[in-house]
Amino acid sequence: MTRERALILVALLAIVGAVAWSAWPREVTAAERVDRITSELRCVTCQGLSVKDSPAASARQMRDLVVQRVAEGRTDDEIRGEFRASYGDWVLLSPPASSWTGLIWLVPIVALVAGLAVVLGRVRAVVPRAADPSPRELAALRERVAREEALDLPQADGAG
Amino acid sequence: MARWLRLSIVLGVAALVVVLMLSFRRDPHDIRTGTVNKPAAAFTADRLDGTGTLSLSDYAGKVVVLNFFASWCPPCKEENPALVRVWERYRTSDVVFIGIVYEDATDKARAYVSANGVTWPTVRDDDGRIAFAYGVFGPPETYFIGPDGVIAGRRIGAINEATLVASIDKLRAQASR
Repeated sequence: MTRERALILVALLAIVGAVAWSAWPREVTAAERVDRITSELRCVTCQGLSVKDSPAASARQMRDLVVQRVAEGRTDDEIRGEFRASYGDWVLLSPPASSWTGLIWLVPIVALVAGLAVVLGRVRAVVPRAADPSPRELAALRERVAREEALDLPQADGAG
Repeated sequence: MARWLRLSIVLGVAALVVVLMLSFRRDPHDIRTGTVNKPAAAFTADRLDGTGTLSLSDYAGKVVVLNFFASWCPPCKEENPALVRVWERYRTSDVVFIGIVYEDATDKARAYVSANGVTWPTVRDDDGRIAFAYGVFGPPETYFIGPDGVIAGRRIGAINEATLVASIDKLRAQASR
C-alpha cells in the first residue's frame, strides 16, 4: 500500500512538473510571434483562410508587414490593431470577446442553457409525480402500522 | 412546453427575421467598416509612369477619388469608361482622381492605363501597404476623400457614373458651405 501511494505521488509530481514546465514563461522568437499573429489574421482576399495558411499574394504582403512591425518592436496588440483599424474585427479569425462581435462567444452558452432547460422541462413532464395517498389508503396504512406495532414484530436487522 | 420557453422561441425567431431583413436592405457595395469616416491614410508612392513620386498630402483641401484597380480585373475594365467620363468632367475643378495599382505587374498596368485612356495620376502599391491602410478587399474599390482629408465613402466593386457624380458633388457641396 505504501509503495502504491509512493507511485501515485511520483505520478502526480510528474504531472505538476510537466504542466509547470509547459506554462513557464520563455523567450518567444520573432518568427514564433510572426507565426502566431499571422495565424490569427484573416487573409483579406481568401475564404476563411488565415494569413499564415494562405498562398495568396495579399496574404504574403500582410505577412511581410507583420514581419516588419515585429522587427520594429511593435507589440502583438499594436500589430493586430493596425489591421483592425482598416478592416475591423472581421480581420481577426477569432473575434475579440471585448467588442460587440464578442457576443458570438455567448451563443454556445445560451444554446447550452436553452437546451438544458428544454431537457429538464421534458424530463419533468415525463417522470410522473407520486400521487398523494387518498384518505382511505392513508387510513388503511395507519391501521396496518398499528397492527404490526401491536404484534411487536422483531426488527429486520435484528437490532430489537 | 412552458409558456416562457414558447415565448423565447417566438422572440428569437422574430429577432432573427428582423436582423436578416435589415441585412438584406444593406448595399453590399457600401460597406461602412474600418476606414470610412476616418482620416485618409497618408501615403507617398512611385508614379506608374516613372516620373517620380506622388503624395496624398499634395492634394490637401481637394476632393480626392482613390481608385484601386488592376489590369487582370474585369470589373475594373467595366467601370473604366465611367471613370474616364467623370474625370473629363471634373479634371479642371477641385477634384482629383488617383489610381492605385493593386497586385499587378508594372508593365501590364502601364499597358492597361495606356489602352483604356487613364490620364489621371496613377501610382504603384507593390507591397500592398496603401491597400492595407485603406482596408481594401480587392479591386476595384473606390474611396471618396473630402477636402477635410476624411474618407467620406467607399464603393466596393465596379462603380457607375451616377454614383461617382453623386459622391463627388456631395463632397463639393459640403466644401463650399
